[in-house]
Amino acid sequence: MGRVIVASVGYTKVGDHWDKSILDLAVEASRKALKQHPNIKPDVIIVGNMFSSQSSRQEHLGALLASALNLTGTPAFKVEAACASGGVAFNVGYRMVRCGEATTALIVGVEKMRDLDMPEASLALTMAESAEYTQFIGASFLSLNAMLARLYQETYNVTRDELSAFPVIAHRNAATAEHAQFRKAISVEDVSRSPLVSDPLRLLDCAPIGDGAAAVLLTSDGLLDEEGDVVEVLSSKISTDIFSVYEREDMLTFSATKEATSKAFSEAGIGVEDVDVLEIHDAFSVTAALSVEAMGFSKPGQGAKDAAAGLYSIKGRYPALTFGGLKGRGHPVGATGLYQIAELWLQLKGRGGLNQVDGCRVGVAQNIGGVDTTSVVTVLARR
Amino acid sequence: MAISYWRRRDRYYRLVGNRCSSCGSEYYPPIYICRRCGSESLVDVEMPNTGQVVTYTILREVMAGFEGQQPLVLGIIRLENGVKVLGQIVDTPPEALRTGSRVKMVFRKIREEGEAGQIYYGYKFTTL
Repeated sequence: MGRVIVASVGYTKVGDHWDKSILDLAVEASRKALKQHPNIKPDVIIVGNMFSSQSSRQEHLGALLASALNLTGTPAFKVEAACASGGVAFNVGYRMVRCGEATTALIVGVEKMRDLDMPEASLALTMAESAEYTQFIGASFLSLNAMLARLYQETYNVTRDELSAFPVIAHRNAATAEHAQFRKAISVEDVSRSPLVSDPLRLLDCAPIGDGAAAVLLTSDGLLDEEGDVVEVLSSKISTDIFSVYEREDMLTFSATKEATSKAFSEAGIGVEDVDVLEIHDAFSVTAALSVEAMGFSKPGQGAKDAAAGLYSIKGRYPALTFGGLKGRGHPVGATGLYQIAELWLQLKGRGGLNQVDGCRVGVAQNIGGVDTTSVVTVLARR
Repeated sequence: MAISYWRRRDRYYRLVGNRCSSCGSEYYPPIYICRRCGSESLVDVEMPNTGQVVTYTILREVMAGFEGQQPLVLGIIRLENGVKVLGQIVDTPPEALRTGSRVKMVFRKIREEGEAGQIYYGYKFTTL
């Protein structure tokens, strides 16, 4: 099996794109990635998307995008795994190139969310959960995470201000990220006093609704004639857990993330101490905390406390959410996993601008669908 | 929605889950293969109707289909048999609710689709 290289990336700004359709966004990101290598034509196009049927009454995104890019004939299809759609699409493309089924792959994540009003968007996101036993009773995705946050705070004595640490880090980094939805720093007090949306979660604990697309062009090793370092995919692993969080005996352990991390790190031959830059799935403050705990960067119950102590700040030991994460950069759900890969690529190529983490060599992305029901962990390295 | 709702009426009206014939493990929502022993022999069984609140929230932004019902009080309840169930908690001032509060199941209207549409019924919980 050959080495797989991230040849280029492309993405739109995240936010309100009232004048752009889901296809407009996907085409814009794709062309930005493709035009960096005019001689490379993708052997396959894979689209990561969660709910285009709800937001745009559109499916069949693979062929739709291939046709729009004048790449008719190219195999093209959509991959869906709720909020992990982008990460899982990347995983599929990576494995196709690694095993030789394709020498190049274009993977594009896209979500059009702002055409939905809030109750519709909330229902669309809750399609990640059981229609029969979660949606039916009126429990939204937000409310499940809120119940988890209360359990987390009560079990580990986590204070309101400690829970606010991840959103503060996210916004601090988003403030200087050109493609971020919220280019604005916020304080612990801003988060801790923002309006309650589903207690104990407040507005600024939660990733926003936004439109966006991100694309990654993968190639097999040897295809690029570039001078200098390349960004190589060392591993990408998916795991799943018992579907709904309330069906699990231990609700505070993200088992899917734990297993995906363990397998991805083992295949890449790295440990937590080797990680220089970290993109985690901070859909909610509590999600970020439980994620770093499951991945082994913090001990159980310490994730939010470690964030408050600076461990995950841009100058900390494990810089996380370096362009704002889901909270600050934004969370166009099916695109999120590919924004993470694109951002790691920027960091490893030394193109992070004001957000650059100095001397980074190994980057890790973790992308979740549901309440850690699906988790994808990917390891990239500069070689 | 109407058809899938009717299909599950016993689940929603009487909290019918299932029990493994081999090892006795109980589940709600019902499952297809026992998570503990792998047996595929499962029989329907009504869950106990009382339990304790494990965690809860007051949801202020509701989903489509629940407009006008906000705020919704939602909880994860551990029933007497140890099974955890997600449900609304009603007829209780939210400020009186605590982790560990004892609750019992009640039969209530979940939502309706306009004046002429389907009405959905199911379980909710109230404090004891």
